[in-house]
Amino acid sequence: MLIQRVEDTLVCTTRHEGLGHMHLRIVRDAKGSLSVAVDPVGAHKGNWVFTVSGSAARYAAQNFEILTDLTICGIIDHWDEAEGPGKN
Amino acid sequence: MKICQIERPLVSTNRIAEMEHKLLQVVRDGSSLAVAVDPVGCKPGDWVICVGSSAAREAAGSKGYPSDLTVVGIIDHWPPASQSEQDA
Repeated sequence: MLIQRVEDTLVCTTRHEGLGHMHLRIVRDAKGSLSVAVDPVGAHKGNWVFTVSGSAARYAAQNFEILTDLTICGIIDHWDEAEGPGKN
Repeated sequence: MKICQIERPLVSTNRIAEMEHKLLQVVRDGSSLAVAVDPVGCKPGDWVICVGSSAAREAAGSKGYPSDLTVVGIIDHWPPASQSEQDA
């Protein structure tokens, strides 16, 4: 699982039915690259979250029919930008 | 499988129910950070073996568990005395 930051919500009205009605978030990883994740948790802009990728993402989306390869699993309570082994 | 070092536990109160109450650890793989499910019970600083893809789900508990990285063992001696830097 990767630690990423939620940049924004993605609105996508015309979509494949495999996405269902799941919320989509734009997330940025440590290397700075953007990707789109399905969000069953309800994260807000600026939240630090951890995401799961691959086929496990479809299980994390609570419904295996959801066609996703990246899903937000949870919002991290304390996380500092420095990525160092900060206090927790 | 990869050799990683345990940084510290990851606390995420607001997370999806599928993750149940499994312990999550922040692990360092070379220079990048990742999050792994820890069914073994490690402490920070331990050198561990992490497995990915579908095996990670099975190792974390059940076929449907949403994990793509799981700790499967704690290494007794690492880095080996002969190697100066651990380019795992």
